[in-house]
Amino acid sequence: MKYLLTLLALTGSVFAEEVLAYPRAYWENSVKVWFWVAVIIYLIVAIPSIYFAIKYRYRKGEHEEGEHIEGNTALEVVWTVIPTIIVLFLGTYSFANFVKQRNAPEGALEVKVVAFMWGWEFEYPNGKKVYAFFNQEGFTAPEEQKAYVPAGKPVKVYLTSRDVIHSFFVHPAKITEDAVPGRITRLWFQINKPGEYFVFCREYCGTWHSRMFAILKVVSEEEFNKWLGGTQPAQQTSSTEANITTQ
Amino acid sequence: MAVAKAPSIPWYGATLKEWLFTTDHKKVGMLYLVTTLLYFAVAGLFGMLVRYEQTAPGIQLPSLFGKTGADLYNYLLTGHGAIILLWWAVNVWMGGFANILVPLMIGAKDVAFPRLNAFGYWAFFGASVLVLLTLIPQNWIMMLWTGYPPYSMNDNAGSTILYIAIVALYGVSSTAGSVNMITTIVSLRAKGLGWTKLNLFAHSIMAASLINLFGVPALLGAITLLFTDKYLGTNFYNPALGGDPLLYQHLLWFYSHPVVYIMILPAFGVFSEVISTMSRKPIFGYISMMFAIYAIALVGFFTWVHHMFVSGVPDWARVIFSYTTLFVAVPTGIKIFNWVATLHKGAIRFNSPMLFTLGGILMFLIGGLTGIPNAMVSIDIGISDSLFIVGHFHYVLGMALTFGAFSGMYYWYPKIIGKMYSEGIAKLSFWLMLIGANIFYFFQMYMGMVQGMPRRYPDYPPIPEWISLMQIQTVGSIILGIGILLSFINWIKSLWGPKAPDNPWGSPSLEWTMTDTPVGPHNFKKEPVEVPEDWHPYAYYKGYHTHI
Repeated sequence: MKYLLTLLALTGSVFAEEVLAYPRAYWENSVKVWFWVAVIIYLIVAIPSIYFAIKYRYRKGEHEEGEHIEGNTALEVVWTVIPTIIVLFLGTYSFANFVKQRNAPEGALEVKVVAFMWGWEFEYPNGKKVYAFFNQEGFTAPEEQKAYVPAGKPVKVYLTSRDVIHSFFVHPAKITEDAVPGRITRLWFQINKPGEYFVFCREYCGTWHSRMFAILKVVSEEEFNKWLGGTQPAQQTSSTEANITTQ
Repeated sequence: MAVAKAPSIPWYGATLKEWLFTTDHKKVGMLYLVTTLLYFAVAGLFGMLVRYEQTAPGIQLPSLFGKTGADLYNYLLTGHGAIILLWWAVNVWMGGFANILVPLMIGAKDVAFPRLNAFGYWAFFGASVLVLLTLIPQNWIMMLWTGYPPYSMNDNAGSTILYIAIVALYGVSSTAGSVNMITTIVSLRAKGLGWTKLNLFAHSIMAASLINLFGVPALLGAITLLFTDKYLGTNFYNPALGGDPLLYQHLLWFYSHPVVYIMILPAFGVFSEVISTMSRKPIFGYISMMFAIYAIALVGFFTWVHHMFVSGVPDWARVIFSYTTLFVAVPTGIKIFNWVATLHKGAIRFNSPMLFTLGGILMFLIGGLTGIPNAMVSIDIGISDSLFIVGHFHYVLGMALTFGAFSGMYYWYPKIIGKMYSEGIAKLSFWLMLIGANIFYFFQMYMGMVQGMPRRYPDYPPIPEWISLMQIQTVGSIILGIGILLSFINWIKSLWGPKAPDNPWGSPSLEWTMTDTPVGPHNFKKEPVEVPEDWHPYAYYKGYHTHI
């Protein structure tokens, strides 16, 4: 019951005071619309079924035979046309949100992520790299394995994989995209509240799939810039090489 | 005319030799049914072990033979998925019920190609033996039932060749079955039994067989390329040399999405048979029900990309396939509304087949409505590969399909076995299954959507809420397991039950009115079978439901 209430609260909180993360906000819009459409359709079908089942139950000697009704064309047209309209509405509503969920706003911080068995390599515009390795001990990571991102600023992630297919799921932002070898895929997110959040792998990748996480450390922009080491993007190629040699 | 005097050996009198060499559609069907039920039980046990692992964070399963507990979990999950889908969900219908019932429903003495039918079973039996070989730890397959490369070519993933061999044998068997069913339904219908007088169950088998015939080549193509990539050095799936791992996903889902309609359409067929019989009323909108079946089968071939919404396919493809997937809801909705309308002004008997059918329909409705988020690309990119999808397809397969199959087992048990089962145990089993499964799968969906828990995780962060949600699911799964166990006990115990009458439910369909119980060697009491002009499998008038 507690969970049912939480679910209702989630779907009902249209006027949530603060947006925790993007594109989660767009995702929640779609979820709310779907949820209420689904609840209404469920009741429209379930209530008559249960009502008919009770009202027209077999009663020995009183009500033993059903009426001979083969169909009703008008009704059948109605329940073909109305669902078609609902489906078109849901598809288009989802399309409109999807465009916002997929396309990062201007000026997003661009981060390259390479997935591998089992961990993530983050590369920032100035060439700084963070490696988040799976941890056999549990879901914690040492400080140097945490990937920093600025709070309240969009982050665009370019993904690929070094070995098998993985999926980069930003837990608070409700967005995931596969990291596929030989392809570059993308997603964007923005987390407004500073704190530590999980990134999980959502595409099955073997023994330690469930431990293939990263910790996103969301900090203020100042702190982020300090951590990154200078606001100026360094020369891309040379700094990457330099980083590899120092690693 | 001389009537063939076949040795009247019903199933219970048949010798081992006859079981091994039989080409009789009923016996082949029973072989399929027994195999599929046994594997259903095995996959269920695998599922319970998966629940045991997930009940607490950390790895609970033991390390065995140099493999970690996480590997064992991955093997159990692979086995659970593959066996439930291919052994239970497909073959309980295409192998079991279709073989036994379709010839009886259309007034045929046997299927069109009886020997091909037997061959299909033994190919399936071969695949079943190979599945048992994977129980040996060296043979564990840990690439999940989908077997996505590049992981499935990795040495950690287990035996690729065994996986390919199992899927290939399954493909051979199901192609043999589909060809047989299509030919049987097209050419062996009794005189006067036109396409609009065919049982909806037979229509659903026809549609499912067509799906199978067009879909299996893509599946076999996918695993053939996997084979040549792994063992012969080709590079179809190797991006370093110009291949693409997404090719496999396209080929796999081109079959594996339509296959869900192979699984669910026959369950719809059972719902239609049972709801009409137990309401003592023709099925509402027979023609639209029939067209809806074929519409689902057709549209089902144009939706596969929704399994790949986050796999890197272009955005325009995601949007187009989002719409096509949503359109499946229209014919499906027609079927649901027609079932509800069938109840209107009926005389409804609440026996166990009907309870399983009503429960199955109402649970399918939840399964269908929770399918919408997976079709709406905007929601799917947030819930893809989370526990939500697992809960969703368990509402569809674990509940709607399984309830359909259990409804069918109880409905036709008297005709197939010749004995009546215990109604009390059947009803208790139904209520336990309904309650257990709802507790289990509702919270599974909740965890995936609201909490964002990824699927296929033996281990998870020790968030208190996640732990209690997992424990609730385990309680649900235990109740569900007890419910299923009761039905198995019932079916075994009732082999020694009281003799069943020829037509216990009073249905006008041919398999009830024209045959002995259990069905004799040549199927029908009177040959050749001919049906009157105004007869219909759902005609509750002129006494068609008591005699013909």
